[in-house]
Amino acid sequence: MFPTDSLGFDPEKIYDIIVLGGGPTAIGCAIYAARFAMDVLIVGKTFGGLIATTHIIENYPGITSVSGPGFMEMFREHMQSLNISYISDEIGSIEQKEDYFVLQSFFQQFKARTICIATGSERRKLGIPGEEEFTGRGVSYCATCDGPFFKDKVVCVIGGSDSATKEALFLTQNAKKVYIIYRGEEIRAEPINKKRVYDNEKIEIIYKTNITGIKGDNSVRAVIFDNGKEFEVDGVFIEIGSNPNSDLAKRIGVNTNEKGEIIINRKSETNIPGIFAAGDVADAPFKQAITGVAEGVIAAYSAFDYLKEMEIEY
Amino acid sequence: MSSDEHYKEIIRREMAKLKTPVKLKVFTSQRIEADGSKIRACMDCSQFMTLLRIYEENSNGMLTIEEMSIDDNPEFVKQYDISRVPTILFIDNNGREVIRYLAAPQGAEIQPFIQSIFTFAGAPNYYEATIKQNLNRIEPSTIKIMMTETCPYCPQVITIANMFALASEGKIRTVIIDINHNQDIGQYYDAAGVPYTIINDQKTITGMVGPNEILRSLIGGNIRVSY
Ligand SMILES: Cc1cc2nc3c(=O)[nH]c(=O)nc-3n(C[C@H](O)[C@H](O)[C@H](O)COP(=O)(O)OP(=O)(O)OC[C@H]3O[C@@H](n4cnc5c(N)ncnc54)[C@H](O)[C@@H]3O)c2cc1C
Repeated sequence: MFPTDSLGFDPEKIYDIIVLGGGPTAIGCAIYAARFAMDVLIVGKTFGGLIATTHIIENYPGITSVSGPGFMEMFREHMQSLNISYISDEIGSIEQKEDYFVLQSFFQQFKARTICIATGSERRKLGIPGEEEFTGRGVSYCATCDGPFFKDKVVCVIGGSDSATKEALFLTQNAKKVYIIYRGEEIRAEPINKKRVYDNEKIEIIYKTNITGIKGDNSVRAVIFDNGKEFEVDGVFIEIGSNPNSDLAKRIGVNTNEKGEIIINRKSETNIPGIFAAGDVADAPFKQAITGVAEGVIAAYSAFDYLKEMEIEY
Repeated sequence: MSSDEHYKEIIRREMAKLKTPVKLKVFTSQRIEADGSKIRACMDCSQFMTLLRIYEENSNGMLTIEEMSIDDNPEFVKQYDISRVPTILFIDNNGREVIRYLAAPQGAEIQPFIQSIFTFAGAPNYYEATIKQNLNRIEPSTIKIMMTETCPYCPQVITIANMFALASEGKIRTVIIDINHNQDIGQYYDAAGVPYTIINDQKTITGMVGPNEILRSLIGGNIRVSY
């Protein structure tokens, strides 16, 4: 954030709510909390979250089309208009005191009456030989970041989700050929993106195929299919979903489901009073920016309600 | 509003909040013609200076951009280690270089640049206490960050690294490199992704990297903190 905003942070203060995360969910929650006149602070590892890495968003009501970074900029402006402070840091632990929580990072200690966990998810890795070795040298998890390095090159996208098709479409702006390699029989994209993929001459889909290794010298030269065949590419973009960032929550006793997602109710409450959760880290079956924002907004309202009740009690 | 106008508006609004004088040096190549007029010889320099003047002109006189021509003063090349133009340098009161920009602070990059100017001018620095506590464990270090204008996470990594440098009493120096405009540097370091962070020309980190990881790389061990 801009200096004048982030400097609003007060290490001595017990905040009404601290929102963990920097994505749309956290920002939605913070905007509503600020409008409820709560003392709010966002502590996030990456401003903008996952959505910042997508090149185009066309399904957020009221915005016909915007790039991921453009969307972040809109968030930033909205937060600034409400004087919401954002700290670029990672929370490592949460401790429960009698009537507040202590959040700890390497750089600061924060105190809050309530917390909204909006820590989203981490890109899943393939876990195959060559993946780590070539990360940054042909293996990428962000087409918007790294696509321009593959001008007139041949690249592949691993995965068959809507996100994977969007990554493939973006990559056609630079690459001469883009293969989508998917283990399933039919890509799972929104119909509008599916059609764009089918209509794009640069994109070819290879179905029912897993990759078992990535080979190269200084940079990526080929992927290896599960039938043993070596397939020449210059870049590999991995888009096979993500795992919830819920370890922090688990350590303080927040309940999660078998996928590690935080279990919340319709008020975005977790099993621990005062701790709310929302967005990609939580257990909704369909996860998008708009659904995360909605859950985050509900978390702000529920925290507001919770604080009101606390005041009656104390 | 075009995105250009939008960014200019942010520069105007934010720079107006600067309350302490601060000076940056910008190295360009500027020749004096036979008729006495000056022309900027490097391709990007004029655009670059126009951009920096927007920062300066909107700072109520608080920011001074000192343009230094390496043609008029070839000794600068050695004195300030200028290997290409345009280059922006943040030099502290002890004459130590803290931040070097081989990149234009435009688009999303205005945020880390403005934040660096403010902190350079004395605004509080969130990371300062921890950096200072660990200072005796940090060797003199250079953090190079390869970026492009469209990279979504570059501004954040640059902000963190610059804040570290500004808190480090001269121990840490950052170099911000736009690899679309300095392709040779990108190729030299084999960068095929951004942000690409290189610590002391040894450790490389591709992609978003948070303050913990950068600090850990600098001290090569656990971070000591006391609150
Ligand atoms: C390629 C791609 C394209 C997509 N396209 C669309 C689209 O067009 N429309 C749409 O609606 N959705 C889209 N999505 C989905 C969308 O990105 C997510 O649903 C949305 O980002 C979820 O927001 P979130 O804030 O819950 O989580 P995230 O965006 O993942 O943000 C979580 C934040 O928490 C931070 N964090 C994690 N741990 C900590 C910690 N310990 N301390 C502090 N901070 C922490 C992270 O760094 C991050 O900033 C797309 C996703 C991808 C991958």
